[in-house]
Amino acid sequence: MALIQVDQLSKTYRVADKKPGMLGTARHFVHRRYREIHAVRGVSFDIAPGEIVGFLGPNGAGKTTTLKMLTGLIHPTSGQVRVLEHEPFKRKAELLRQITLVMGNKQQMIWDLPPMDSLHVNAAVYGIEPAEAERRIARFAEILGLKDELTQPVRKLSLGQRMKCELVAALLHHPRVLFLDEPTLGLDVNAQAAVRRFLTEYNRDQQASILLTSHYMADITALCERVVVIDKGSILYDGSLQGVVERFAPLREVKLDLADPIEDDRLAQYGEVESNDRRVARLLVDRDTLTQTVAALLAELAIEDLTVSDPPIEDVIARLFESGKDSEAKASSQHQP
Amino acid sequence: MPALPLRAFRSYVSAYTALMSVYRAEIFLWMIATSLPLIMMGVWVEAGSSGRFAGFTSVDAARYFIAVFIVRQLTICWVIHEFEWNVVSGKLSSLLLHPIDVAWRFVAMHIGEQVTRLPFGAVMVGLCFLVIPDALVGNADRPGWWLPAWWQVGLALLATYAAFTLRFAMQYTTALGAFWVERVSALDGLFYLPYLFLSGMIVPLQVLPAPVADAVLWTPFPYLLWFPAQLLAAPGDTMSPGEIARGFAMITGWIVVFITLNRLLWHRGLKHYSAMGA
Amino acid sequence: MRRYLTTLKLFWSASLAAEMEYRANFVLATGSAAATLAGALFALWALLRTDYAMNGWGFYEALIVVGVYTVLDGLQQTLLQPNRQQITGLVREGTLDFILLKPLDTQFWLSVRKVSIWGVPNVVLGAGLIVFAGLRTDPTVPAVGYLRLLVPLLLGIAILYALGYLLSTLTIWFTKMDNITYAMQALLEAGRYPVGAYPMAYRVFFTFVMPVAFMTTVPAEAMLGRAGGASVALAGAIAVLLLVGCRSFWRYALRHYTSASS
Repeated sequence: MALIQVDQLSKTYRVADKKPGMLGTARHFVHRRYREIHAVRGVSFDIAPGEIVGFLGPNGAGKTTTLKMLTGLIHPTSGQVRVLEHEPFKRKAELLRQITLVMGNKQQMIWDLPPMDSLHVNAAVYGIEPAEAERRIARFAEILGLKDELTQPVRKLSLGQRMKCELVAALLHHPRVLFLDEPTLGLDVNAQAAVRRFLTEYNRDQQASILLTSHYMADITALCERVVVIDKGSILYDGSLQGVVERFAPLREVKLDLADPIEDDRLAQYGEVESNDRRVARLLVDRDTLTQTVAALLAELAIEDLTVSDPPIEDVIARLFESGKDSEAKASSQHQP
Repeated sequence: MPALPLRAFRSYVSAYTALMSVYRAEIFLWMIATSLPLIMMGVWVEAGSSGRFAGFTSVDAARYFIAVFIVRQLTICWVIHEFEWNVVSGKLSSLLLHPIDVAWRFVAMHIGEQVTRLPFGAVMVGLCFLVIPDALVGNADRPGWWLPAWWQVGLALLATYAAFTLRFAMQYTTALGAFWVERVSALDGLFYLPYLFLSGMIVPLQVLPAPVADAVLWTPFPYLLWFPAQLLAAPGDTMSPGEIARGFAMITGWIVVFITLNRLLWHRGLKHYSAMGA
Repeated sequence: MRRYLTTLKLFWSASLAAEMEYRANFVLATGSAAATLAGALFALWALLRTDYAMNGWGFYEALIVVGVYTVLDGLQQTLLQPNRQQITGLVREGTLDFILLKPLDTQFWLSVRKVSIWGVPNVVLGAGLIVFAGLRTDPTVPAVGYLRLLVPLLLGIAILYALGYLLSTLTIWFTKMDNITYAMQALLEAGRYPVGAYPMAYRVFFTFVMPVAFMTTVPAEAMLGRAGGASVALAGAIAVLLLVGCRSFWRYALRHYTSASS
């Protein structure tokens, strides 16, 4: 039984346009021109209990909008969402007690007070007995390596310490579904690792489902077995992390240890030459014709050793986002009247 | 102040007019928030119609407070909040690198905001004439239309911009306190209360007993509203040329005092600010 | 219900603790409350120093209105304004999201989250002024008069709260509306004078559009024994109408909440 079911979800916004300069200002003042933005169009997917899903896509792809529709913060223009058998937009307390949202660029802690005060407020709001709340705080603090930070005013904490406290506040009520929007944004490497470790443990202990967006590929590769790739509001891919490479990197890398130097021109007959320093050459070869190409290489050239590998996943996804950005730029230039 | 590159100032004004027009809803609300003169107009029009205030009829009251409203709309000043924000956020440091004194930037912001405010203000004044038509056409107690001569309008406009300059200089001088203390905008309250009660916004000076009014006229506050508003509302009747001259002399004097103080504090403040490594 | 009370206790203690960080402000608030009151008395004196009687409101009767206004102003500075102010910030920064996801009524949260001690000097000064003026009126206000003041005063606060919340709700659509409650507050300044002090057009506006009359004039009249049950009942009806109205408008607005994008 899926915890989250999303069916044909769409969201359309209206935004005002303004041309630069005094004249544009005057015109904008009198009469506003509006433009429709299709932030999310016809998105569907399911998430099973205990699953950690990475939600990937370039900026403006519709990730956050989707996340906010799943949490019920914004109302979908069309389509269906069910989270734990509830329609999130109705914002029933029963559902709210079982979900949480963490946003890396926003915080819910009271700025002038130590995190402990905010945690007590949250405990009261979720109706957690004080003793139980203390127990949970202590456990979370231990995993995250928090000690005195909990009793210092929030404004005196570093970004990493603040984010750790945010996580404690967001998970104090032991939610079954976690929505994480860039939870490691701007954190240093150590803090990022601590957050990942914490999420992994929480997922294991509570069998919670997690939907996560992040710009840090390390987050995705460390936490997610499944990813959903979204671009311009539509899903491009939904499947295993490894599958991303197969789907979006139709090329494989063939590394050749050369017995004698071979010219680039010659190598280019077999595939795209990535590098060639006369001892070691790297070729990009089409996945479909890989077998034939390798056979031909071994038969026709003097080669000491040959290895075939996938390009690193970070590169694949980074390239995917790059191409997303390109098409985004093209799309917006086409919108110009 | 250092020589002003006019072109930079013009482009500031143009850019800030664009910026302010984005905030036009806010500016409209802000105008409502500063329309206390129109509320006071109600109280004094009713009082004036009782006939118990010699020489201050309901028509005089209406004209006076409409004039106060107009002057107030053209002299609204918020440089202290802007300056405080620039200091606290550290943005001032980058502004100091510009080859033009930051004061001009703040002045341009205010002008841009006034331009945006203008249409709303005109509508409000029109509305006042609709509610109290006597203010425009006069009545039995005070016959005749409200038609100030061109020189009266000119003098009033001059006085209004002098008032804006004075208010800006006063507030900007207070704002410089932000170099030394946090939350300097709270200090503005010190000036705001006497401004509220002594500027003529709530009580027209002409209904006060003469000794009280004379004392008030030595402070800078009546020149911020009462003086320009009087020029616009009814100059010939209530103010002799000598009084008008004295008014302009007072306002000029106060402007000189505050600008001098301002430049003094500015240089000391900058020294303090840069010493703090901001 | 118990959960709401525990939460309220925590909200207020956290809020007061946060304010203690800026103690100097309290001194400033007291000073400015006293100066504002002095200014209001000066204005009233200028208006009533001749034999102008403001349609039946003598100096001390009018002082009661100023006192009621000052108490209301203090209460709203303490209970209403800090909460109104945070709503726009929450919408603009998108942190309203966190509150919407809490299993607690959002309107409750947004209405009682904060409390401030800044308004206390106004409440004390206003109450003192009411008693002082009540002893000077002719005839003096009997003890029961102060009791008669209570119900309309509470209705006045309810009206003020509902109006403020109604306007704050607009920020869901127009984030640049920070100033809307300031605009409302400016119109409320009219409450320093009894509605009888205004021309007819103003009286209509301040009774039916911006019901200032029910906030200060009616309580003062009730205290002086001038208001009939009818005007108090009307105040009650307006309060209920506005409370129900702001509640349903808030629910409607949330359907259009788009949440600040990051």
